[in-house]
Amino acid sequence: MEYSKILVPVVGTPVDESVMKLACRLARRDKEREKDKDKEKSKIWAVSVVAIKRALPLDAEIESEIRRAEDVLDRVQSVAEKEGFEIETDVLQARDVGPAIVDEAVERGVTLILMGIVYKRQFGQFSLGDVVPYVLKNSPCPVILYQQ
Amino acid sequence: MSDTFPAKPGDRVFRPKRIKRLHLRRVLGVTGLFSTAYGDVGSSIYYALGVVAMSALGLTPPVLIISGVVFLFTALTYAEGATALPEAGGSGAFAFRAFNPWVSFIASWALMLDYIVTMSISAFSAINYLGYFFHPLATWPANSIGGMVVIALLALINIRGIRASSRLNIVLVMIDVLTQITIAVLALLIVVNIPTLIHNVHWGVAPTTHQFLFGISISMIAYTGIETVSNLGSETRNPGRSIPRAVLLVFIAVFVLWALLSMAALSAYPVHQMPDGQWVTELTQRFLHDPILGIANVMPESIRPVLSFWVAFLAVTILIIATNAGMLGASRLAYYMGRRDQLPGALSKVSERSRVPMNAILIFSVIASGLIATGRITLLADLYAFGAVLAYTSAHASIIALRVKEPELPRPFKIPLNIRIKNREIPVTAVLGGLATFITWFIVIYTHAIGRIVGFSWLAVGLLIFFLYRRRLKRRQSPNFETGREE
Repeated sequence: MEYSKILVPVVGTPVDESVMKLACRLARRDKEREKDKDKEKSKIWAVSVVAIKRALPLDAEIESEIRRAEDVLDRVQSVAEKEGFEIETDVLQARDVGPAIVDEAVERGVTLILMGIVYKRQFGQFSLGDVVPYVLKNSPCPVILYQQ
Repeated sequence: MSDTFPAKPGDRVFRPKRIKRLHLRRVLGVTGLFSTAYGDVGSSIYYALGVVAMSALGLTPPVLIISGVVFLFTALTYAEGATALPEAGGSGAFAFRAFNPWVSFIASWALMLDYIVTMSISAFSAINYLGYFFHPLATWPANSIGGMVVIALLALINIRGIRASSRLNIVLVMIDVLTQITIAVLALLIVVNIPTLIHNVHWGVAPTTHQFLFGISISMIAYTGIETVSNLGSETRNPGRSIPRAVLLVFIAVFVLWALLSMAALSAYPVHQMPDGQWVTELTQRFLHDPILGIANVMPESIRPVLSFWVAFLAVTILIIATNAGMLGASRLAYYMGRRDQLPGALSKVSERSRVPMNAILIFSVIASGLIATGRITLLADLYAFGAVLAYTSAHASIIALRVKEPELPRPFKIPLNIRIKNREIPVTAVLGGLATFITWFIVIYTHAIGRIVGFSWLAVGLLIFFLYRRRLKRRQSPNFETGREE
């Protein structure tokens, strides 16, 4: 399987770093193949989505949220650098996180979405939340979930 | 910091390291815009028809048609403004660019009054329609208390941030449109009676000239809500194309439906003279607060119960959505005004915990609840008209001013039909619309005593807050004043 373009949505949980390491290893494996063939260079994008409530305009600048997103992207970028990878990062503002991730995947033409999840229980049942099921249902490409 | 908002001395500047611009996910197309705008504009008829008919009597249909034409001019103005300046401030944003912060403040503050009154009148009307299922709710003070409860619950929902499904909103609005079309078509086939409509008019007597003018000014509230479109500019895909199409669709829908529904109402409840000499229509005697139920009430026996049930249920739902729209509009406007230093931070700032302008939501909800407490829908309508026509007049003036001052401003949608004056293209509809709304504003002031007093008081309080806040800001920014702030 070729994972030349990987989208990694990050949210600031401890699993983000492990997910970025996995993304780098998958992309590196693909990079190895690039030497044999005339292939597109592997790329990784890390995105942090700031969800803006409807009580604010979509272009509202919430400093605390943007700072938090910056910090999260800083951390995953340094993890990628240690793995020897240069990644691109972006902060998105959207009403809903799931659609924003799917739209980003479509826009960038990614070949894999790699998402980290933490074990959560809701009403006694394991819960994936709202974002992950949405992405799984609507993603234009394969999705790998990494649970820590 | 926003690219369009340069830092001033003393501002704390936050420069994200890697972000050159925030990547906005624009998701709204024509359908989403239309449903959101119609949800706002289209809910007005559920209360406006009653208050307009109270004054305009037999001339209610032509009065609504006249104000519909003015609405078209206003819609075109907003289409040009919203595509050229896709910011959340609406007519306030237009005025800020075209004139100065003071004019912008007046326009925004008038609009804020409108959003607050939207909350009040929609919540109040929703409870009145709920009275179809439980009659005590249709009487005062139960309807006022119920309206306050609706506002309080919505404030809590918006502060807590429970996600509203935009898809559900679209579905509900589409169902509302279909229901109104159904009622309008049935009314056209069964109820509308042209001879009755003609006989309803007693020139100069019922309505009198005063009542006719009063009715025209009030009828503007039937078309309020078009500001919603400009508020959504920043989240619209291809705004240059989507916004004008959505605006035009909304206009066509409301113009046709309001004309038909008003004709049905006045056919079903003709104007007659009471023993005391007063001219009235049964529509306002029995269905002042829920006029669309009045129309459903005259449908054939075989469909009346189902239709009345459905209209009541739908009206409650749509009016609660409209109440929420008013609350969100006020919240966004407060944020926008804070960003422009038009409101103190205490009112406009985004709460760290809830990530919404919590103080603004709470304060404006309290004011809206206070307005409902009177239980007088006519007072609410007066205030609505005061704020709306002032904001619309400002919008028209701003669009004309921008054509003069910034003819090269990119305008993805430009109002057609212009006249050339000294090498500048001036939109005819903005001139006519501006004159019409300005004259209407004078009519509102002249004929609506309570609206005049409360409306001007609202403006006065707002201008005082603005003046004091600006003075405090200037003192802070004075080079002789040590702020101790660092970048």
